[in-house]
Amino acid sequence: MGFSLFANLAFNGLITGLVVSLLALSITLVFGIARFPNAAAGDVATVGAFAGLLGPLAGGGTLWIILCGMAAGALLSVAFYFLLFRPLAGKSAVSSLIASIGMAFFVRAALTFFLGHDQRVYPLPIVRAMPVGPLRVQPTDIEIVVAAVLALAAVFSILHLTPIGKRMRAVADNAELARVSGIRANRVLVAMWLIAGLLAGLSGTLLGVKTVVSPEMGWDLLMPAFAATILGTIGNPVGAVLGGVLIGLAQELSTPFVGFTYKLGVGFLVLLVTLLIRPQGLFAKNSLVR
Amino acid sequence: MERPVLSMRQVLLAAAGVAALGIASGQAFAAEPFLVGALNPVSGAGSPYGSGMQKAIAMAADEINADGGACGRQIQVVSEDTQTSPDAAVLAVKKLIDVNKVQVVMGTWSSGVTLAVMPITTAAGLPEMNTSGAPAISTEDKADLVWRFQATNGRFGQAFAKIAKERGFKRPATMAYNNASGLGNTEGFAKAWKEDGGKVVASVVYEPKQASYRSELQQILAANPDVVVMGSYLPDTTIILREWYQSGQNPDLKWIIPGWAANEKLVEALGPDVTQGVIAVDSISNENAPSYAHFAEAYKKATGQPAGSNVYAAMTYDMMVLWGLAMQADCSKLTPEAINGRIRGVDSASGDKVFTFAEGKKALEAGKAINYQGASSQLAFDQYGDVTPDFSLSVVEKGEIVRKSVVTIGK
Repeated sequence: MGFSLFANLAFNGLITGLVVSLLALSITLVFGIARFPNAAAGDVATVGAFAGLLGPLAGGGTLWIILCGMAAGALLSVAFYFLLFRPLAGKSAVSSLIASIGMAFFVRAALTFFLGHDQRVYPLPIVRAMPVGPLRVQPTDIEIVVAAVLALAAVFSILHLTPIGKRMRAVADNAELARVSGIRANRVLVAMWLIAGLLAGLSGTLLGVKTVVSPEMGWDLLMPAFAATILGTIGNPVGAVLGGVLIGLAQELSTPFVGFTYKLGVGFLVLLVTLLIRPQGLFAKNSLVR
Repeated sequence: MERPVLSMRQVLLAAAGVAALGIASGQAFAAEPFLVGALNPVSGAGSPYGSGMQKAIAMAADEINADGGACGRQIQVVSEDTQTSPDAAVLAVKKLIDVNKVQVVMGTWSSGVTLAVMPITTAAGLPEMNTSGAPAISTEDKADLVWRFQATNGRFGQAFAKIAKERGFKRPATMAYNNASGLGNTEGFAKAWKEDGGKVVASVVYEPKQASYRSELQQILAANPDVVVMGSYLPDTTIILREWYQSGQNPDLKWIIPGWAANEKLVEALGPDVTQGVIAVDSISNENAPSYAHFAEAYKKATGQPAGSNVYAAMTYDMMVLWGLAMQADCSKLTPEAINGRIRGVDSASGDKVFTFAEGKKALEAGKAINYQGASSQLAFDQYGDVTPDFSLSVVEKGEIVRKSVVTIGK
């Protein structure tokens, strides 16, 4: 159990955690602004991953795969808003939650019906990893780190540097007050769902690049993403990313001690213990709202 | 409005009368037919195989009937669809038993369905014949009423061990998907390998549906194995092989993988470079036996499909033939329990080898002990009622899966 082993485990944990945290970022935005846990986020990611299969038609390479995936995610997400979540906005959060679960099932069933259960892969060349010190770094790893950093920076700048971001935060803080102040919630929410969809699509395609594209992939990613959202304090974008990374690190670094079958349990143990000590999550201080 | 020539009631009465006449005349010639339930996955995930499996049962029944039946009794097959769903299968089997009064149920495919149907057939005192893989089927069958015509996961493991030895591997490691099937493969391998004096250098059990298996691989590769034996499925195998190749570590490492994970889809996903030299192991029909040639010809005629396209059809065909022979072995007792008790007798290692129902019937009538050699396998049921099939060994060469040899494991 040398340094190199732990360094590699930590690196694996970081990369896995980042994929999760992009979806967590999508969930935390919806959670913070529309105020309900969006269970359809995972399946929006799946649709993004499938749309990524069209990337090679558009131009090839990882970038086009990601762009196709993000576009599809955004479209679907905004469609959900108009079809479902806008009519349900006045109702309790439970209605929206249930509706999102129903939508998640519907999307998965539709994908399975039309495209089947078979796995698909992106036609990308399989390249050998580069040794960086004790680490073995694959091009995919770098892409994931860059994508996560860019996504976080973009979300952060939109929220804090642009007028629409300011309005988003206002709606999140107090929807009534925002309305009285002349902010049109509709436009704010469309922007929010657009961003949430882009992020889900991004996380889906990156997961697809790393693994295989299948109708269940997003749903399987949803639980860890929710855990990351809660761990990093609901509504806090930085928290969501750090939460995802923290769970990823804890899972991988625990494997020499608890074995591989229990590492998922360790991720949730971290969540449990954190919530017992800090029920508001890790990063409540500089939270997006409240 | 014109009056119809015959009222509906009159039509029905006439039809019933004709039907009654038919039954009466049938009974005049032969004893009551023996009822067999064919319970197959005609729809759902098993649908590529289900209707072929059902046809194969009917084919075998026709052969028995054409030969004068078993003990003079004609076989009548009642078919039902499991929909590859335990719920639907339970309803279907209850209907077969309570309404149709079948005396044996054969042809369930997925393990989930078989495990759901077994308690019902056992409670009714009826035998159940299946093509499922789960080890639990062997242990749950306390009354010895369940017969499995498919290789168990443990037997796959034994085949892996034999192949690893033949190929001269010295330092195997194992990776298993954490479920009964995955663990069954690698534990079966480890048991057979260790009994032969070998050592397993590393073993990992992994959770499904992960974004990466690099940490798991790292532990395996650190032990410097020369071959990794897998108990895995297609998606996880795709990710693991890709990550191994990308890591650049142990580039000469070989892989032994069950056929359902190492197939054309794997090669398609990863390309020829990554999959070069991967060893795929699959259970196969009893391809060199005359019974298989006989079955394959009839199957082609009945369905228009080659027998090789549906390994399960050969299994259900054998179910019906074997059952017919077990009936024929002692015509004085034709209760389901009594016939069930004679199954091992017509599959006896010391008996004369027979390859069709007609051959077997003749030998039995001559007072000989027989050993039915099936189209799907030599059968050779063990204490759990599990068969011992042959396996194919294929190697991926430049993107093609090339069959190298047939592997037979000991009885």
